[in-house]
Amino acid sequence: MIETPERITLEEWDQQYKLLQKAGIYQPDYGGPLSRHVEDGDQRLLKLQYDNSAAALRLWNFLLTEEDRLHKARADGKKIIGTMKDLGTVPVMAYSFDNVVAFYPDGAWWIPCVMELSAGLLEIADSLGIDESFCPVRAMLGAFVTGAHFPVPDMLICSVGATCDDFSAIAQRLNGLGHPILWWEIPHRRRAETGEAMVNLTGGFSAPECQVEFVKSELDRIKNALEELTGEQLNEEKLCAGIKEANQVRRYLAELRYLAFTAELCPIPALEMLVAEMLAIHFCSDRNETIAVLKDLLDEVKARVRTGKGILDADAVRIFWVNPVADLQVMNLLEDCGGRICGTEYLFTHALDIIPENLPPIEALAQMALADPMAGSSADRAQRICTDIRRFGAETVLISRIPGASHCALEGEIISQIIQETFDIPVLEIEVPPVTDSMRPTVCTRLEALVETVKARPRVKQRKWRKK
Amino acid sequence: MTRPETTIIYTCPYVPAEWIAAHGLHPCRVIPETADPAFLTARTEGVCPYVRSFICEVMKYKQAGGVVVTTVCDQMRRVFDILVRNCDLPAFLMNVPNTWQSIAAQKLYIEELKRLSRFLIRLGGMSPSTDVLINKMLEYDKARKSILAAREYLSARQYAEAIAVLGRDGPGGLLNDAARSGPLTAGVPLAIVGGPLMKRDLEILGMVEEFGGRIVLDATETGERGMCAPFNRRRLSDDPLMELASAYFGGIQDASRRPDSELYKWLKRQLVTRAARGIVFHRYVWCDMWHAELGRLKEWTDLPVLDIDTAGDNETDRNRTENRILAFLETLQ
Repeated sequence: MIETPERITLEEWDQQYKLLQKAGIYQPDYGGPLSRHVEDGDQRLLKLQYDNSAAALRLWNFLLTEEDRLHKARADGKKIIGTMKDLGTVPVMAYSFDNVVAFYPDGAWWIPCVMELSAGLLEIADSLGIDESFCPVRAMLGAFVTGAHFPVPDMLICSVGATCDDFSAIAQRLNGLGHPILWWEIPHRRRAETGEAMVNLTGGFSAPECQVEFVKSELDRIKNALEELTGEQLNEEKLCAGIKEANQVRRYLAELRYLAFTAELCPIPALEMLVAEMLAIHFCSDRNETIAVLKDLLDEVKARVRTGKGILDADAVRIFWVNPVADLQVMNLLEDCGGRICGTEYLFTHALDIIPENLPPIEALAQMALADPMAGSSADRAQRICTDIRRFGAETVLISRIPGASHCALEGEIISQIIQETFDIPVLEIEVPPVTDSMRPTVCTRLEALVETVKARPRVKQRKWRKK
Repeated sequence: MTRPETTIIYTCPYVPAEWIAAHGLHPCRVIPETADPAFLTARTEGVCPYVRSFICEVMKYKQAGGVVVTTVCDQMRRVFDILVRNCDLPAFLMNVPNTWQSIAAQKLYIEELKRLSRFLIRLGGMSPSTDVLINKMLEYDKARKSILAAREYLSARQYAEAIAVLGRDGPGGLLNDAARSGPLTAGVPLAIVGGPLMKRDLEILGMVEEFGGRIVLDATETGERGMCAPFNRRRLSDDPLMELASAYFGGIQDASRRPDSELYKWLKRQLVTRAARGIVFHRYVWCDMWHAELGRLKEWTDLPVLDIDTAGDNETDRNRTENRILAFLETLQ
């Protein structure tokens, strides 16, 4: 464990890297100083603050070398699958094959941020008629056109139905550009009606059995397509093994989240936690390494909690964060403004929940797909958020609006109302574009106001509801 | 005609009016007025104007007995959440799959019709007998054919209004007399393509004609494109529900379909048959589904395409639309 956990700049990381090297830290083959990634054009890295642990170094290096891994996988003869939109289900199946690597082209939505708009991906999307009225995930179109950020996958699989219109429309545009897509349907999750058999899903949701059966048939279709592509049969045993491995990722993350959100002193920055959570959705193109990276991070956090060390003041305001941010720097800002993350709902909580291992594997995956918070109503999503607010003891909620996203236009108000009906806590909604530089003072002012509002309230009394 | 007591409102073309009518209820397809500016003022940015207006219309429709919303687009799907929280009207969210090529998706649509039936029965509807369903289907089919046959003789606005009246009131008087006046042939033949039009947006059809154009294909959701396929009489008598599902789910081509290839096949056929010389592409701001089609449509067709994006609620918008249509037609004349 690092003696003094703190957030440091990229420049400071160079010094820290030398110290860690001298101390003989283990570095995987993708290791090295973080600042080297700036040479690849990742300019935003210069403006971020990072955790100073060796575990964080490994996490960042793992994240920032995904493209290399994908190219290596292609060179090694593996099939590359672009899984789009479902955020956590199809990759579990894909990684159960011996010779498949799956990744989310959707992840390109962070490229404009990380490269500070220098990659020109949004301009390409503009030229294809997908302008700024769409979610920043439109950067994915540019990434496909340039071919500069990931290899073109051997197969593209995309969920539609109860998904956001932005992504569905952008994926269709991609399809129109000549990229074949295997579409699969995720129906809007509803509750069972009288006389219908009901299935309890993870996350506190439920669905009628017929919807689970429907999704099973869709996942079977995907399985058949993957078997045809790879020439490999995916039997139950292999899929169960894949689920077990995915669950290992989820168990580490569950422990990490609990410690990070509930420790008296915040043991790890929000930014590293965001990156760690993201690993659950497609394992950053290497499932085994994801497990190792998370284990390292968890060990570091456990040690910090055990020794009472943290990276923020003890009175940091406990913020529950809803939706991922398009600009990673905002995760730093919330801490600069006196907040800390105590609970998250980054649109993929279903990728963090444990997949049932006592069910036929396809059925288990179908249940997980249906437990997607975005597949159901905004009220359902709000209820899950409320459960986690209670669990983690958040004092306030920040709903981070994604510019242009179809769901953000109408759901924020419902989520906010339900939270405020359930708890007497402030809820703030802000919009976060891919690069917030020009509006940084506004974002800061709003975050500071939120922090001050919470601090001005009787904080001990405020937490009483946690015991209800 | 005595109107049944309970009116069920909806706007999505994938909701079969015949199915509601066969339950002894009155189906009313709402074409909303522009939302009252004072309505839902808490949030307008990012919200599709049609969605806002539909919510407003439902809230105002005090005599309705129920509302049916579908999952065809994400914002409409979320309208259901808003109605459930803010409106006393019983609401039903119908899952209309975006995928259409699999048997499972087609079955899901039929299962949703059966679930809709249970909702309608809870609202006082009667479980329809086969004969009642067949009769309702035949009535609507006849009315649709009558409208389609009258197309050449009606102005684009009259045509759109005839479709709207059928959706709102059900099959009434047929348009068999329309042919008396002779077909309309003047003006540059154009297609209008896009999502649904609000009442106010029907003005656009008039503008096109005023400036020397003629809409020969109304491929909006509230126009001809939103009408189901004609029923096959033999299949209708064998299994009316299956035929109903086939005509609606299989017959209406939309930008929400994945893939949306059938929309382009349908458009290609219609554009050629009608000899359109240009396309007026209508979309609402924040409607991602149709907005994303614009670029593809421009690449796909050799015809000139005019993009009309509207927020649907102000005079500046109207003037801008008018000027754009005028300029477009000047280039085509």
